[in-house]
Amino acid sequence: MKINLNAFTLSALFLALPLTVNAAQDELVEQGKYLAKLGDCTACHTIDEGQANGGGLPFTTPFGIVYSTNISSDEEFGIGHYSLEDFTDAMRGGVAPKGNLYPAMPYTSYHLLMDQDIEALYRYFLSTKPVKQKNRDNDLMFPTNIRFGLKAWNLVNHDSKVFEADADKSEKWNRGSYIVNGLGHCGECHTPRDVMFAMDQSRHFEGELIGGAEASDITPKELNRQGWTKQDLDDVLRKGYSRKGTVFAGMYPVVFHSFSHLTEDDMSAVTSYLLDNDAEVTAKSDTFNGHDKSDPGYKLYSGYCAGCHGINGEGKPNVSPALIANATIDKVVPINTLSVMLNGVEEQRYSHTHGFYAMPSYRDTLNVKQLTELTNYIRKVWTKQSSDLTESQVQGWVDKIEDSIADAAH
Amino acid sequence: MSTIALSINNKAIGPIETSDDIMMIEFLHEHLNMTGTKFGCGVGVCHACTVIVDNEDGSSESVRTCINGVSRFNGKKIRTIEGHAKENEFGEIIKLSPVQETFIENFSFQCGWCTSGFVNETTVLVERLKLMPIRVSEIETVIEKALGDHVCRCTGYVKYYKAVKELILSTEGLTRS
Ligand code: FES
Ligand code: FES
Repeated sequence: MKINLNAFTLSALFLALPLTVNAAQDELVEQGKYLAKLGDCTACHTIDEGQANGGGLPFTTPFGIVYSTNISSDEEFGIGHYSLEDFTDAMRGGVAPKGNLYPAMPYTSYHLLMDQDIEALYRYFLSTKPVKQKNRDNDLMFPTNIRFGLKAWNLVNHDSKVFEADADKSEKWNRGSYIVNGLGHCGECHTPRDVMFAMDQSRHFEGELIGGAEASDITPKELNRQGWTKQDLDDVLRKGYSRKGTVFAGMYPVVFHSFSHLTEDDMSAVTSYLLDNDAEVTAKSDTFNGHDKSDPGYKLYSGYCAGCHGINGEGKPNVSPALIANATIDKVVPINTLSVMLNGVEEQRYSHTHGFYAMPSYRDTLNVKQLTELTNYIRKVWTKQSSDLTESQVQGWVDKIEDSIADAAH
Repeated sequence: MSTIALSINNKAIGPIETSDDIMMIEFLHEHLNMTGTKFGCGVGVCHACTVIVDNEDGSSESVRTCINGVSRFNGKKIRTIEGHAKENEFGEIIKLSPVQETFIENFSFQCGWCTSGFVNETTVLVERLKLMPIRVSEIETVIEKALGDHVCRCTGYVKYYKAVKELILSTEGLTRS
């Protein structure tokens, strides 16, 4: 009897073992799938209407075009032949089996990832559908086309340290920091770059102009000054729109593909980190200073903007955001206000019932004098910012915006 | 309140007192009784409310009146659907514009709600092509680009596009080899 029992237990054990291993593997793949969303991998590694993770999306840099690579499980063209070690090296150090990666792949942020998360991502990518698609050659100018130089770049600019928690902060804050700085790689756009085009960590998250729009200053100091609550941030990151306005330009795909998929706990960690506060923050009262109909800016506002944004800046649900409490116009430097006037905003769809219509570009309609009057007027009515910007200041910002578009189109 | 003066269909309008914060379509309908310009979505999407603005440099552009305030049009020269056909001294219509003719010949519209927008947009397109003729091979893309945002709730697109294509091909100077 005893022997029998043992034999039974043993066979049950043998039966259960592979099942447990499989379940653990599945769980790891699931976790990796979530992490891949967090890292927004698919967005950069998939061309429009292309197969997921097949690569080929062009990235225009000041040095030329870099194409994202095939990261599907295909053994020939993708990363199917990578060992876990190869994958880790690529994620942390930007070194793939075939050579150094360009820092357009944000290993300069991903190095923070912990081992178990890297493994989860690895397992997930190996479980994805193989895509038979060859990688495209980059189109870069000399000397940036020599991959060898990247070794030197990494030596000077890349620190491959794994995330270290800040003992003075809460667990939630640290989780937020891990997400935002690691897989979320927010710093890649929101941190100004230095002369070597590396993130200038002394100005962490202070904002940077890219492709004609500014990835905003998202330091706790600025977000708190603008009166963001945790709920506002949750709304804008999850749905793309909030009491504080909508996302636009490069941030729309980030919300669509990545942040809208965050779990509640992770989102709460992110907002705690961004506001540097674990508790909910009370909303400040909105600024609306009333209209001054004798101001030339009023005619411009009522002629060009009020139809969609409302005469009192109240906005229209599912059409256009409100200007009251809008963070884009409440900035010391009005680059993004000018950017939307010049470039317009593309239509944004989040679901069948939520979205915003496109805003037209006024590049050829408004001259610098009008842009100046309108910007001053909007600031005067809906913010506490100065409203005495001069035409030459505005011209300077317009030039910067146009230069940054030209840079991105090189 | 503010004072507005502009030219509509080559007639001087105003100076006329109006509230500053109304949209142009309301000004046309309520102040001038010009109801040919149709109001659809009211949020700039359907393009039914499109009118023509004539720029000083001789070019023309289409502008939506539901999302553009009356102040934007102060001092401007505009054309609406009421200004296309030729009238005699008694105000009777004696001749339609070529764009109107071609839409009628092709039975392009049904209920007519979108028609004034289509007529104005097509007129702007034809005037642009007079200045910058296109290759015949580009016709379809050009039409699509110009008219693609106009919504016809009776789904008359095929007939509209066919009519515009015919008009472009049969009007001298709009295409080049
Ligand atoms: S009514 Fe103006 S665009 Fe629809
Ligand atoms: S004819 Fe009816 S909407 Fe176009």
